[in-house]
Formats: sequence, C-alpha cells, structure tokens
Amino acid sequence: MGRIMASEMLKIKRKMILFLIFLGPIGVVALEACNFGLRYDYLTKVYKDDLWGGLINEASLLSIPTILIGLTIITSMIANIEHQTNAWKQLLALPISKTKVYTGKALLAFLLLILSCVVLAGGIIVLGLLLKFGVNIPFLYLLKMCFFPFLASLPFLALQIWLAITMKNQAIPLTVGIMGTIISMYSMNFPNWVPWKWPLLVNDLEKAVYSIVASIVIGLLLYLVSHLDFHRKEVR
Amino acid sequence: MSNYIIETEKLTKKYGARRVVHQVDLKVKKGEIYGFLGPNGAGKTTTIKMLLGLARPTKGSIHIFGKDMKKDKLAVLKKIGSLVEYPSYYGHLTAYENLEAVRILLDAPKSRIDEVLSIVRLTRDAKRPVKGFSLGMKQRLGIATALLGNPELLILDEPTNGLDPSGIIEIRELLKSMPKEHGITIVVSSHLLSEIDQMATQVGIISKGEMIFQDSIETLRKRSSSKIKLTVNDAQSAWRNLMSNGFKTDVVQNQLFVDSVTDEKIAEIVSSLVKNDYSIYRVEEEKKSLEEIFLELTGGEGSL
Ligand SMILES: Nc1ncnc2c1ncn2[C@@H]1O[C@H](COP(=O)(O)OP(=O)(O)OP(=O)(O)O)[C@@H](O)[C@H]1O
Ligand SMILES: [Mg+2]
Repeated sequence: MGRIMASEMLKIKRKMILFLIFLGPIGVVALEACNFGLRYDYLTKVYKDDLWGGLINEASLLSIPTILIGLTIITSMIANIEHQTNAWKQLLALPISKTKVYTGKALLAFLLLILSCVVLAGGIIVLGLLLKFGVNIPFLYLLKMCFFPFLASLPFLALQIWLAITMKNQAIPLTVGIMGTIISMYSMNFPNWVPWKWPLLVNDLEKAVYSIVASIVIGLLLYLVSHLDFHRKEVR
Repeated sequence: MSNYIIETEKLTKKYGARRVVHQVDLKVKKGEIYGFLGPNGAGKTTTIKMLLGLARPTKGSIHIFGKDMKKDKLAVLKKIGSLVEYPSYYGHLTAYENLEAVRILLDAPKSRIDEVLSIVRLTRDAKRPVKGFSLGMKQRLGIATALLGNPELLILDEPTNGLDPSGIIEIRELLKSMPKEHGITIVVSSHLLSEIDQMATQVGIISKGEMIFQDSIETLRKRSSSKIKLTVNDAQSAWRNLMSNGFKTDVVQNQLFVDSVTDEKIAEIVSSLVKNDYSIYRVEEEKKSLEEIFLELTGGEGSL
C-alpha cells in the first residue's frame, strides 16, 4: 500500500490538486479575515464572552460547503488522471490488485482533505492571533469544528470517488456533488437521519458524535460496495 | 502441464449477444515471437485484454506460465510487460516521472528507468512532459513502460501503430533481438501481415473472433509457392495432349497451370510437351503472396 500511495502522490504532481487543497481552507480563513476585519467592533461585541469560539464557529460554517465542493472536485481530478489517456488499462495490467488501486485513490482523497482540515485549523489560529483574541486557544473545540464536518461528510467522499472513478464523463459526478452541496446548505430542517444534514453538526456537539459515527459507518459501507463494483467492471 | 507459455482453451468473449472472440485456442511456446494477426475488429485487442486480466472471459480458460489466470492473476502479471492499443501515459508528467510512477509499483530498481529509456532511445527527452511528445515517442514510452519490470513475456497490441518507417524498423529490430538476448517470449498483434512476416516465428490469424490459422511462419509461407505456370504456343491442344498422357493441368487464358508438384513431375510434363512438338516459351513459378493467402484465409477482408 505504501508503494501505491507513493505512486499516487507522484501522479498528482503539477495537477493543481495540492494548490486547491490549500486554496480551500486559506480561502475560508481569508473570508473570515474580511468578515472580522470589516465588522470587528460588532462581532467582538456579539462574541465578547468567547472570541475564539465565535471565530471558530463562523469559519466552520463557511467550511462546510467548501468541504463538499472540494471533495467533489478533488475526487474528480484524481480519477481524471487515469481517465485522460485511459491509463486504467496500463495500471490494472500491473501486478497490483484492483482493491489496492481503488483504495489508493480513495485514501489519497481522504488524506488530502484531512490536510485541508489541518490547514484550516492552522489558519484559524493565525487569524485569531492576528485579531488579538489572546493565547487562550480552545484547541479541542477548534479541532472538533475543523475535522467533524469533514468526518460527517465521508459518505459523500465515498460516493464521489465511486462516481468519478467508474464514469469517464466527469460531468455526472460533478453535477451530483454540486447538487449535494446545495441540498446540504438547505438541510437545516431535515430529519436527523438525512446524511446531507450531518456535516452541519446542527445538534450540540454531544449529539453530533452520533452523526459522525453514522457517517463513518455509512462511508465505509459505501466504500466496500463501490470497491466491489470497481472489481466487477472491465477496463474499456 | 504443458510447455506452453500461453495456452488458452476455447477462449470466448461475448458482449451482449455479440460473439467477439469465439473458442480461441491460443498456444505460444517459450522464446517465440508470436504474431497475432487479424483484420480490424477481428478480436485481437479483446483477446489480449483477456490475457492480461483486463476483460473477463465469457467461457474458456487461460493458462500463462502454466498458471491459471483466474487463480494466480497477480503472480502471472508480475512477469508480463504489456501495451494495449494506443499508449497510456500521464501527460502532465515527464517521461521519467511516468516510468517512475510505474516503477514504484513494480518495485524495480531505479537504474532500470535509464536502461529502458535508452533501449527505446528516449534518454534525451526524458525530462520533457509527455503531452508534448509525438505519437511515435509516446508509443516508445509505452514500450519502455512494458519493459520496466524485466518481463519474461511481452504482450504488445499493435506496437508500431503510428510510427514512421524508420521507427517501425527500429521497434521491429528491438523486438527481434529480445528472445535471443534475454529469452523473452513476445506476443505482438497487428493487422498488417508484412509487419508480422518480418519478425514473427509463429503466427496466429484471427478473423471474426475465430482462430483460422496457427502455425509457424514457414508453414504459412509454404502455402505461397503453389503453382507452376507454363506458357506454350497452343495451350488448349497442349492441355488435351497432356491429359491423354495422364498429366492433370488447368488452362487459364492460354496458359497451363500445374498445382504444386515435385520437380520430377514438372520435368516429365515438360519433356512430354517437347516430344509432342509444342513450343515452350516459359516455365514459371506463380507465387501467391502472403497477402493473398491472408485475404483468402480471412475471406477477403482487407489487411492493408
Ligand atoms: N466493450 C465492448 N463492448 C462491445 N463491443 C466491443 C467492446 N470491445 C470491443 N467490442 C467489439 O468487438 C470487436 C472486436 O474488437 P477488438 O478491439 O478486439 O478488435 P481488434 O482485432 O483489436 O481490431 P483493431 O485491429 O481495429 O484494433 C469489435 O467489433 C468491437 O466493436
Ligand atoms: Mg485492436
């Protein structure tokens, strides 16, 4: 598996993928910088009891659609590397199991998005310090709010990597991903079992854990099913 | 157990109701250059995809290195280098990086990259992104990729597609040298008989999904020296005369044709004609070209 990941990392070189992975969280932080910069007096009054918490909440809210759109684009780009010259037939004629090939792609997308979350957390800390919110950073809350929305989006990651890999025409996975993002933004009043609502973490953090556990379970299940589908499909 | 490197039995592939490959028994011995020949759409690529585990046979079995492809796919693929149809490559990467991406997966030594680059003469272009390569260069990169893992068996689908004449000769000479120098077995497909004729030792001809000929290239060539043509002054009368003396010939447009017979028989026919005062202008061997044989075998479907 290590060799597969090394090969996958090499293949995304010069592909703008890493650039987007940084652009996403940095964009969110930059927007929050504007938000707090322009409305500094107002927002510091609203959040005067918990300046850091306020900043983290605002950034987290903005990060949700960014994550959903981001994972849609990243999975599509990763799959497209093989689609472009139908490199699948070269890759799958190598002595590597199809399971590993598929897992490599999914894992690559997962790790890259985790990297995005790390950058987001780092960016928020820097912004908070620049805004002079002090050094009493609520690290645990920060990490939860940076990583939970992504972990609650795992079914979508599994769905998008499946669509992107098994379809040559990327218009379909991209459309599905964008639709999902829009649905999720208006899912506030959906019942709790609807996956599009999970990334919003609308319940208090205690209950959000249920969303995340459900998300991980459904995500893994989707991954297993989709990997079987990839196994079954022949190379064109 | 057999001594074949590749052995398929009743290999069949259907797409829906369409039979694309039908009951093919492909047999390739060690050290051969096996030319896999057939007109467009005959099923060459489909057969090769099944050999590489890229497509699943509808029926039949495949044994490579004596192992069942169904059970030991990865062990078999470890010893195969392949190129299927047009070359696959990552356009945004350089030739070197393309090879590195595959080398990592094969766990081959790094030095092997420079070796295969020099074999296909791409060393000078190794640091350029492949999207700027000509089709011939991409094709050679594909062959280099196939050679990366030091394979015992090379399976190349139309490897000279898109190459110019000098490129074709280069690749042909390269392939011809491999069985001798490294004991590699090669399967190479083409729709051009002339291509196969110049490098293959064994030939399999597939048409409409069925194997219609499989033997050595010599056997195929033997079919080409088939008739002796005699040009005489009065063909009709000579034909009747020969007939009455017990020699069977055919008359076509004032010329006599004798189906391939021994040298002695020809001598007897000639001396019989001479004794009966016919003037013999010419005695020639009428060679059927390999192209004609190929056309005949494939039922007139063009190969060129
Ligand atoms: N995935 C597929 N689905 C349906 N039909 C297919 C598929 N792949 C190939 N075929 C059909 O199978 C037949 C054989 O195709 P194949 O590519 O094996 O021919 P070929 O001998 O390689 O021809 P060429 O010389 O043109 O490369 C063709 O008629 C093709 O249309
Ligand atoms: Mg073909």
